[in-house]
Amino acid sequence: MSSPTSLTETRHSSPVPRRDAKPKLAVYWTGSCGGCDVSFLEVGEAIVEVLSRVEIVFWPALVDAKRSDLEALPPGSIDVALINGVIRTEENAEMAKLLRAKSKYIVAYGACAHLGGVPSLADRWGKEEIFREVFGKGFRPGPPPGANGEAALPDLLDAAVPLEDVVRVDYVVPGCPPPAPLISRFFGALLGGEMPEPPHVFANVKALCEECQRVRHDDRRIERIVRPHEVLPDPETCLLEQGLICMGPVTRGGCNALCPAAGMPCTGCLGPTPEAGDPGTAMLSALASLVRFEDEGEEYFPKEDGVLEALADPLGTFYMYSFGRFRRKR
Amino acid sequence: MASVNGFEPRIVAFLCRWCSYAGADLAGTSRLKYPPNIIPIRVPCSGRVDPQWVLEAFERGADGVFIGGCHPGDCHYVSGNYKTRRRVVLLKKLLPQLGIEPERLRLEWISATEGQRFAQVVTEFVRELKELGPIVAGGDALRVTRDGQVQIER
Repeated sequence: MSSPTSLTETRHSSPVPRRDAKPKLAVYWTGSCGGCDVSFLEVGEAIVEVLSRVEIVFWPALVDAKRSDLEALPPGSIDVALINGVIRTEENAEMAKLLRAKSKYIVAYGACAHLGGVPSLADRWGKEEIFREVFGKGFRPGPPPGANGEAALPDLLDAAVPLEDVVRVDYVVPGCPPPAPLISRFFGALLGGEMPEPPHVFANVKALCEECQRVRHDDRRIERIVRPHEVLPDPETCLLEQGLICMGPVTRGGCNALCPAAGMPCTGCLGPTPEAGDPGTAMLSALASLVRFEDEGEEYFPKEDGVLEALADPLGTFYMYSFGRFRRKR
Repeated sequence: MASVNGFEPRIVAFLCRWCSYAGADLAGTSRLKYPPNIIPIRVPCSGRVDPQWVLEAFERGADGVFIGGCHPGDCHYVSGNYKTRRRVVLLKKLLPQLGIEPERLRLEWISATEGQRFAQVVTEFVRELKELGPIVAGGDALRVTRDGQVQIER
């Protein structure tokens, strides 16, 4: 909880329009792996400047503040609250609602808050099934025998849901975790006093392929499907053409095609482009169009089926980060 | 829908306007009998069927989804039916992961002259779906009310 000092005020006089005071910032994690909290360091030395120009009022990973401190704040007194993680427990939902009440803007930070993320793949099963699988018979969520109600762990919600299912979300900084260019884009807008009209996603509207440096061919088709550990991909050619399932065609750009540049297919962490809509069915369609041989017809059906058969896990491939948003049982 | 055993499956049928829809029409004009469980939707080509529609139909309580396309080589748009076939192969891999039996999705080639075949295929599909029972998603049976609301039957 830093307060402005004359030193930082003079050192960081900036040409961009300044707000009257430092924006009050909250960062909170719900059902999260912690990677999002670490991701801020991705921007490098700029983090020093960013931290000096905001006032942190609540950030459990960084400063000591209790829920009661947050409760004591007047409504709307936090300028921006960044929430990362999926909403999995009753407590997650309570905290999201509390932050909503205390904040002018809520930012879904990272794939879990944005679309449910990897934890929402658990939504293939109901809460009871998950308890049965993990704890076996006899587990009851609730206080241990003899303990008072206060000792109870917060109960799981029926599903692991994205933040927007619980509170109104103004902005999204997507990614797993959000990549440096998008974190910079967000803080640039915030500190420059040029936040766009909500709702807004801090990533490109166009697909990742638009910024990918790999070469695509017009007559591309897929004659085999392979997984990343099975091949050493050619460094120049489009990964899809090489049979690696790259979610690039249906995923927002903005990360500078970080993974494809390193030889790994895009897994879709920035979420689908507005045009793609449901990333899973959009990618399924794209893949079905690409898998073919030099000609099409009945005689090629068995060969085509053989190629498609090699797709090991359609759900995990197509909905790795977006199951909670797009396919969860409602 | 009168029902004998208490369960009448609801089938959403996407029919290509060049072949299967005309086939269904022929079945009608020929006064062929087949179960009234299908809700036909005419599409310009079986290739127009977005996989999202298939999943949405199941999520909204359809017990089966039927796609009718032209025989191989007969597609009005050359290769729409080939793309559909590959989509169906992938969908049938995805459906079990969503807790939906792949048999609930059926792709058939039916030409404009095959009214008889249309009636026969629909009859067969309805019988199979009756054996499978109502659609269950994630362990809960879905019920569609008259006003189109989907309810989970506990």
